Amino acid sequence: MRLLQLFADSGPSIHVAPAGAFHLWGFTITNSILYGWMAAAAIIALLIMVARKVTVHPQGGFTQFIEAGAEFISGLVEGAFDDRKRGRKYVPFFVTLFFFILLNNWFGLIPGVGEAFHRGDNPILRPFTADLNGTFAIGIVTMITVYVASVRELGGLRKYFKHFFIGSIWNPLYLIIGLLEMLTDLTRVFSLSLRLFLNVTIGEIVIAVFSYLGHIAAPLTALPFTLIELFIGALQAYIFTVLSLMYLAIAVNHSHDHGEEDADEHFLTPEPTPAIKPARAKAA
Amino acid sequence: MDLFAVASSTAVLGKGLMIGLGFIGPAIGIGLIGGNYLKAVGRNPEAAKFFGQALVFVAIVELFGLLAFASTFIVK
Repeated sequence: MRLLQLFADSGPSIHVAPAGAFHLWGFTITNSILYGWMAAAAIIALLIMVARKVTVHPQGGFTQFIEAGAEFISGLVEGAFDDRKRGRKYVPFFVTLFFFILLNNWFGLIPGVGEAFHRGDNPILRPFTADLNGTFAIGIVTMITVYVASVRELGGLRKYFKHFFIGSIWNPLYLIIGLLEMLTDLTRVFSLSLRLFLNVTIGEIVIAVFSYLGHIAAPLTALPFTLIELFIGALQAYIFTVLSLMYLAIAVNHSHDHGEEDADEHFLTPEPTPAIKPARAKAA
Repeated sequence: MDLFAVASSTAVLGKGLMIGLGFIGPAIGIGLIGGNYLKAVGRNPEAAKFFGQALVFVAIVELFGLLAFASTFIVK
């Protein structure tokens, strides 16, 4: 019975939401935004330092790593568009997005951040991406950029709304499909931010649970999960970048697949005969 | 006796079911993605370059399992 009571102990302290660290001019500064500022300052300083060190002759170490990552993402961005010149404009945004998320995820794994250091009941520092407010802000900024960029690339709001519809909007089927497409587009900001938030938070929770189970040997039991989180942090940064890139590339490339002037003619004019009808008649 | 009462409360049962059932679907989904990717590579080794896309789909599937896991913290 005593053994059972040991297992029924209070358990590790787990927080899904950020907690207020201190108050500043009437605002509550949460532990995640505090660490977000610190991480942002560190990222800016680090990347400026690396950018100064980059040379034509490749060097080893951290500079090489950042260079390889930037080259990988810029290749990805340029390859996603039909003509590479069109994609070049968006390289800086996506590379910044990738490194911001990647380094924020990794800074969250430094020992001492998260559930380790407490003041009262709450941890002092919390990774920025383990806060839904933070990831939602990243998602909103990303999706607004994607919307603005796709409207500008397509040349006008009318053409942008047209790309949701595969044919004339007077066809009820195409109308419903188009409206559903628009709805799906609006949910993307939630799916992007929730995915990043849940992955990082659950990683934090798993690390907290295993360091609690380890008791004295906590570093030993938490180490494998920290290594997995290192991988997952990179993977999530990659996925966030690739998905937002895909949303932009779909909107931009779509209009170039169909003949533009051809689709423009049929957009608002009634088109009662779908393409399937003659084929059916022939088969019958 | 007290411990038994805690363990058999409906919230604990609900959390257990939520985690268990919520992990089945994504596990099957990720297994299908990985299996089909390996099948494609086995047939045509050129397909190995689509590993990044396979990972993107893994992340999409994984979200639902994570949602189930996160929901367990809301249930009291």
